[in-house]
Amino acid sequence: MHKVRITLFLLMAAAILVLALIAGPRMINPLAMSATEREILLSIRLPRVAVALLMGMALGASGAILQGVLRNPLADPYILGISSGASLAAALGLLSGFYVFGRSSVPVSAFIGASLVSVLVGAFGWKRGGLWPERLLLAGIGLNFLFSAVLMLLMSLSSDEGLRRAVLWMFGDLSMADWTLIPSASIFIVIGLGIALFRSKALNALILGDEFAYSLGFAVQRERLILFAAMALMTSASVSLGGTIGFIGLLMPHIVRLLLGADSRLLVPASAIAGGAFLCFADLVGRSLMPPLELPSGTVTAVIGAPYFLYLLRKKDVLGV
Amino acid sequence: MFSAYSGPILELDRVSFRYPGAGRIIDDLTFAIGGGEFIGLLGANGSGKSTILKLAAGMVRPDRGIVKLWDRPLAAYRNKDRAKLLCYFPQHLDVSVPFTVREIVGMGMYPYDIPPAMAVDEAMDTVGLLDKADVYVTNLSGGERRRVFIAMTLIQGAGILLLDEPLANLDIRYQIEFLRLLRRLQEQKGISVVMALHDINVALQFEKVMVIKNGAVLGIGAPEAVLTGPMIRDAFDVSIELRKAEHGMYITHEKWF
Repeated sequence: MHKVRITLFLLMAAAILVLALIAGPRMINPLAMSATEREILLSIRLPRVAVALLMGMALGASGAILQGVLRNPLADPYILGISSGASLAAALGLLSGFYVFGRSSVPVSAFIGASLVSVLVGAFGWKRGGLWPERLLLAGIGLNFLFSAVLMLLMSLSSDEGLRRAVLWMFGDLSMADWTLIPSASIFIVIGLGIALFRSKALNALILGDEFAYSLGFAVQRERLILFAAMALMTSASVSLGGTIGFIGLLMPHIVRLLLGADSRLLVPASAIAGGAFLCFADLVGRSLMPPLELPSGTVTAVIGAPYFLYLLRKKDVLGV
Repeated sequence: MFSAYSGPILELDRVSFRYPGAGRIIDDLTFAIGGGEFIGLLGANGSGKSTILKLAAGMVRPDRGIVKLWDRPLAAYRNKDRAKLLCYFPQHLDVSVPFTVREIVGMGMYPYDIPPAMAVDEAMDTVGLLDKADVYVTNLSGGERRRVFIAMTLIQGAGILLLDEPLANLDIRYQIEFLRLLRRLQEQKGISVVMALHDINVALQFEKVMVIKNGAVLGIGAPEAVLTGPMIRDAFDVSIELRKAEHGMYITHEKWF
């Protein structure tokens, strides 16, 4: 039964990937492509689908990790201020004429900002030789408010067109996706995901509480730090790829828990796959619904995802969600 | 390796501890647990029972003194090796994630690279939860959840169990069944148990009790010798008269309210 479900789940994810590649404002038949279509597929569709897949995977896995590490079903990577910190860094970079990285300046400063905020959240969450979930969460929420406020302030004071673009980009825009950032971002995401998979037993144990995790032979604080770092790495890479996409980090792990179960050994990879496939699907809908207008993927994910989540919540009898 | 050793298997030697910023103190505590020994730890709320268990488990490190497991400093063990010998069972079980019973019980295997002899099904059967193997723990009652974690502990298979109020939330049937299960494990596998309690009548069933007040030992020994009326009034700070019934159980003399 479980195996059937997992197989179906994987098949669906694969089907969505293929569909996202061939469908769109212009349908492409991969078996009979014209030169133009080949060009569209290779330099527009493929990088865009790759970015959506990578971002969705990073966010889905990050959410699953963070909800476990913080022992809080309402946790998601953005609540810790990582996205607002990234947006602020990107905006500051643009304002100060920080174009060192050429076309990649916005994503690179976003990545640096996201990583710095992760370290900052970690530093505030650190006491007596370890990270404490409540402290992490509250520190993250505090920093989130601070960065959002400063960003608002910058926006209201500045008339810089570039800044406005950067802020729009931060709200989740995949239309600019190209190959430039994919190699470096995918390295970070693969490393983060690898660490999380390797530590998924520890994540399960941490969910039972520090005391059980200790009793089962885990170095609680070390495991929490490693998992937090893996989450921060993936989230930072994701933000730099295409800005802030909501819903996936928070609710995808819950959907996967309801469909496939809560065991982190399955939950982390399945949340990654589900997040990736879902963002590809949302992006496909966003760009196909009323071309040439594009709906921002961050909005589409929530519009499709939230009702489905609410339906599952009603249908399944699980007090824990 | 162990056969040549006949001393205590877990030993707290002149251990002192204080939580940062808190007044609660364990002061110069020394006690030892021998193989196959059952010790009931009795004391009022806040007397330091949980802290003593956490010190014995190595979850908190003493400010002074040393904790030894099999005559070797507990801190010197690798985490996984320690987990095969020593199991700590916390007082509060809160799981908000919908793991199934089977998933949690299976986590008892985590310290092992090669799964131990006791199968997950057998452990669930022992605590009477085999028919609920695939139920979410979030949908179980408090007592059932406790039994899930007891089954996990069985899989973990440690020889020393440090249990913090394991009988809380259990109705009398499962209290008795749990104690009998521990007794069976003691007879079959020679496990040692230290159990924090607050029920005097349960403590009377143990071979050895230790009464704690303000982090220090008020008395230790056989319950008949230690659990006297004055001792209990002192430990729990309550002025009630106690009377022993024929079968050894305590009953209070007067109406409480």
